Amino acid sequence: MSSFGTLNTAYTGLVAARRGLDVVGQNIANANTDGYTRQRVTTSASVTAPSSLSMSQTFTVGQGVSVDGVARLGSSLLDARVRLATGTSGYWDVRASTMSSLEGTLQEPGPNGLSSTLQKFWSAWQDLGNNAAVPATGAALLAQAGGLVSQIANGYHQVDDQWSTLRSDTDVKVAQLNDAGARVANLNAKIRTTLAAGGSANELIDQRNTITTSISKLVGGTVRELPDGTNEILIGGNPLVSGDNFHSVALVGTYHMDAVGSDPVQLEWTSRPGSPVALDGGEIGGAISMLAAADGSGTGGPIAEAAASYNAFAANLATQVNGIYSTGANAAGTTGVNFFSLNGALPAALGLTVIPTTSADLATATVGAGAYNGDVAGAISQLGASKTSPDSVWASIVAGIGTTSQTAQQQSTLAGLSTKAAVDNQLSNAGVDLDEENVNLLSFQRAYQGAARVMTAVDQMLDTLINHTGTVGL
Amino acid sequence: MLTRVTNQTITRNAQYNLQTGLTALAKLQNQASSQKAISVPSDDPAGTSKSLQIRGEQAATAQYGRNISDGTAWLNTVDSTLSAVSSIMGRIRDLTVQGANDGAMSPTSKDAIATELTNLKGELLKQANTSYLGRNIFAGNTNAGVAFNADYTFNGLAGDSVQRRIDANTTVRVDADGAAVFGTNPGVPPSTDPGTTPGSVFTLIDNIVDDLHNGVNIGARLTEIDARKQAISAQQSIIGTTEAQMDRAQQTNASQTVSLESQRSSVEDLDVAKVILDLQTQQTTYQTSLGVTAKVLQPTLMDFLR
Repeated sequence: MSSFGTLNTAYTGLVAARRGLDVVGQNIANANTDGYTRQRVTTSASVTAPSSLSMSQTFTVGQGVSVDGVARLGSSLLDARVRLATGTSGYWDVRASTMSSLEGTLQEPGPNGLSSTLQKFWSAWQDLGNNAAVPATGAALLAQAGGLVSQIANGYHQVDDQWSTLRSDTDVKVAQLNDAGARVANLNAKIRTTLAAGGSANELIDQRNTITTSISKLVGGTVRELPDGTNEILIGGNPLVSGDNFHSVALVGTYHMDAVGSDPVQLEWTSRPGSPVALDGGEIGGAISMLAAADGSGTGGPIAEAAASYNAFAANLATQVNGIYSTGANAAGTTGVNFFSLNGALPAALGLTVIPTTSADLATATVGAGAYNGDVAGAISQLGASKTSPDSVWASIVAGIGTTSQTAQQQSTLAGLSTKAAVDNQLSNAGVDLDEENVNLLSFQRAYQGAARVMTAVDQMLDTLINHTGTVGL
Repeated sequence: MLTRVTNQTITRNAQYNLQTGLTALAKLQNQASSQKAISVPSDDPAGTSKSLQIRGEQAATAQYGRNISDGTAWLNTVDSTLSAVSSIMGRIRDLTVQGANDGAMSPTSKDAIATELTNLKGELLKQANTSYLGRNIFAGNTNAGVAFNADYTFNGLAGDSVQRRIDANTTVRVDADGAAVFGTNPGVPPSTDPGTTPGSVFTLIDNIVDDLHNGVNIGARLTEIDARKQAISAQQSIIGTTEAQMDRAQQTNASQTVSLESQRSSVEDLDVAKVILDLQTQQTTYQTSLGVTAKVLQPTLMDFLR
């Protein structure tokens, strides 16, 4: 080895220490950057190939240090766990928040709920039964009935609004998904080019991971790493992103809750219209499950089921009241008329109207009894106390919505906890620890000082050799 | 490597713990200030269902309470009217006994008795047409202006009665049967045989007056008057029994109201002591975690490298 060889060895030490400092600087600078994964310089000692030409038997020393690269200290296993947990969490979050606002519209239990209006309605019938043919009590009953009908319609409208709001929110989420997918494909292309050119794509991979996690939050899905450094995101078994290819999806289906039975809301591949994408989670998966049609057995989409419950309740109320009311006679002796009418062209909750308009129209008397007889009104008021009363129908609807909401909230809490655990694990592995970086900073600083000292020593050695040789005694 | 702790994980955990503590605190504060254990159905779906049922029963019980008050007012009116009728009948009987003393009574005295009897008949007819809140108390559900017309015909329908519901399964009659009290058959005076259609008490008085004018002894009419008085007492005892039933229903209703309210409260309302204790504990926990967080997050190696 020549005398200048040691200078070079010291130089590689300087370079390695400086790269180390660079990376520490990058880590510290990004200590709080979302999605940043800590990095380390990987170095190895340079070896000298034994020279076959050299006849001398002198042993050789390594030729310094070589910087092999900058490693990204992430774990794809932990990343995958985060994505899985985020997908589940997104699914239940949407369901829980939608159910929570849905049950909020019920105003139960309390003085403003439908049950309370229903009780006042029955009481008004009883008062009318006690004071039949008194215009004031008749007017009071008609006002209560009008209030009941409009509250049912109002409840239905609120459910309808929930559905429409969620439907348009989901449109926005699908747009976000398409945007995120396109960005991942774009990043994949850059990563492949960078890696092929031998560069470091760590920051690009961090960015891609952040976006991939946001895709998992939207639709769940699985991610596969490909050999060329790119990745593949599969939803329902088909690739949303594969390398630098991106396949867009679209949300199709009606914008009206009443039409969801015939035109369901579903996610489709733009290139293959008509076949729905099977989603296994995510916010969009949760939203689509909430937007599903009612199936008659109470297990369909909760919003449409709630609307169907309002309809069933309205129809039940009309049938029960009319069943007794039609046996009565009004002041003019007319019999066989109904109290509620249902407009078949509308959902029952909206088509429910009160037929009598004045208290004189009210058929409250048993046929053949005196004009002040209110037995029919009294019998209607007792509907509220029967086992199959509209009140009990309503109570079971409220309890059903409450149970669904409770389940969704518990699941959402659990999914939130498991997401937190997964993210904690991911961050404890990938996060920047400032103390650790400070220690590294010190050690690289010392290494740099050491390498510089070696260089100075060799320099002084050479100075002695070049400038002071042969000047003995001068 | 999963146990590696970084500044970021400490910060995140601290934030998470603070957030959890604050959420629990907010929930407890909300509960403590609203005093409601169930604010939305999902807080307790089974409890919600029960609460709706209890509230329904409360509304029905309140309505039965109003029905009972209304019925009691009817019964009081009927009772006092029957008492008045009874005392008028007593006076009529006295006059009849007096007028039957043919030997001692001059025609002038008999005329005076006849005049008083006619006045008492008018009084009786007025009592028979007593109304409560615009409704005849002796004529069921009819909307006719009076129960008995000037020609003594009855406007009520046979078997028609005013009923009030005092609980889910019971209705009681709150008016009196005008036909039984005063008789409906205007042409025939009341018979002593209870099996026949009751004759009108007003016709009876007319007949007595006629007898007095025509010099016929009216002592024979006493049997008919006694029969009528018996019918009136029978109605009075029925009304008295019903009033007692109403009183019992009133008490049952009141205790039912209290019991339902305590049931509702046990389902819907909070155990205040427990919530306040929980709230205090949670406040302490939150303050502790704030204090600890402030201490833990400060030092790094930076503080010691000079």
